Amino acid sequence: MSAQFGDQLIAVLPRLRRFARGLSGSLTDADDLVQAACERALARQHQFQEGTRFDSWMFRIVQTIWIDQVRSRDVRKEDGDVAEDRLGSDEPVRRVEARLALDEVRRALDCLPPDQRTALLLVTVEGLSYKEAADTVQVPVGTIMSRLARARIALQMQLEAGRGGRRSARNAAAQ
Amino acid sequence: MQQRSDDRLIAYLDGELETTQRCEVEAWLDADPDARRRMAKLAESAHLLRSVLDEAVREPVPDRLIAAARGETPRRLTRAEIVPFHRRLSGRVAAPRPWRTGLPVAASVIGILLGSTASYLGVGKLTLDGAAGRPAARETAAVNNLWLDNAAGYFKLIVNAGDNPPVDVSATGDPREALQKISQSLPQEVRLPDLKPWGLSFRGARLVVQEGRPAAALVYTTDNKAIGPLGLIIGSSKQPDISPTFDRRQDVNLLYWRHQGRAFALVGQADIGYLWGIANDVAWQLDAV
Repeated sequence: MSAQFGDQLIAVLPRLRRFARGLSGSLTDADDLVQAACERALARQHQFQEGTRFDSWMFRIVQTIWIDQVRSRDVRKEDGDVAEDRLGSDEPVRRVEARLALDEVRRALDCLPPDQRTALLLVTVEGLSYKEAADTVQVPVGTIMSRLARARIALQMQLEAGRGGRRSARNAAAQ
Repeated sequence: MQQRSDDRLIAYLDGELETTQRCEVEAWLDADPDARRRMAKLAESAHLLRSVLDEAVREPVPDRLIAAARGETPRRLTRAEIVPFHRRLSGRVAAPRPWRTGLPVAASVIGILLGSTASYLGVGKLTLDGAAGRPAARETAAVNNLWLDNAAGYFKLIVNAGDNPPVDVSATGDPREALQKISQSLPQEVRLPDLKPWGLSFRGARLVVQEGRPAAALVYTTDNKAIGPLGLIIGSSKQPDISPTFDRRQDVNLLYWRHQGRAFALVGQADIGYLWGIANDVAWQLDAV
């Protein structure tokens, strides 16, 4: 392995962890995913084309491994099933309202089909352009656009629904 | 139609529209309060999503992932095994200069501000014993060694100074103004990376010497003891580009890299995972990837 390749890989680790966390919804699974992606990248470093985006190449590897895992394990999560090591569960205690909102985002993300979740994370969180995201997952730009639109509308609706639920609960508690 | 409208709003938010299309959307938003409301909600949900996941880029990267990226097994990488730069250089050009923890502050200042210049100039004249293999590489390594010594020495001064870090220009007013003053003495303008997401506040800047040229040492402090005070040195360099590389001077961690004529060193006592994360952030903000 060239030292330069390893350094590039280390430099992109924080973003890979963020991406993997968004995909898997779990801290532990995300790091396992990133570790597997590093191992695969090192084994296939000759396939990386100089002059192309290294981060996109790594995102593709992470996404491919995750899709394989989803297919083989069928890890469909049930609504409201929040595992102990879910995102941010180890963060300092914050205001309950804020945490509920963040929990809703996580739940909404988990409810999205894998393809939409990937598009949403690549564009909205990782800041890739539609073209770059399309290249990363190897689909046409139009496909990314439609997946992204469906994902963002679903996310927003889920958050709206959660907010409504919280309001109702607060009103009930106040009475 | 509704779906199509939202598609357009989303593309607008993502900066994917051409100028004409953007103007059309802006006109539409001006005229339609409902569209404005929908766009605000879409923007808010995107912001929340980023908030949820951004923690991941600010946490220390677990050692096992760094080991995996280097093709090592996790057992092989422990913090104690970070090999000091001195040991990595076989047949060094100069005798190792062990740190003395009680080094007087005044001696450090002189060593940093004057010594490095003289040392750097001397490097090129050294005869490299047994260096028939790679003299250029050895010279580069020696340059690295000297300025990393100085960077670590300067960091020690910051730590020793406590709440009053030794800076030439304090960031009491506008931090950018402070940096502008420092930039006037430098061969190229230095931009200030925003490290507030890490809880780091810019406290001021100071001129230091790096590779025989003036460089800016930016000082950041934080209440977070896991990160502690941090120094970021930005200067120019004639050495070839290198990717982020770790080194250590006693209890001081250094992460340094060079990119297109600029040299960077992040210096602190924070865990190496934090330094990787912060360096990554700095590199993206300063176009130094």
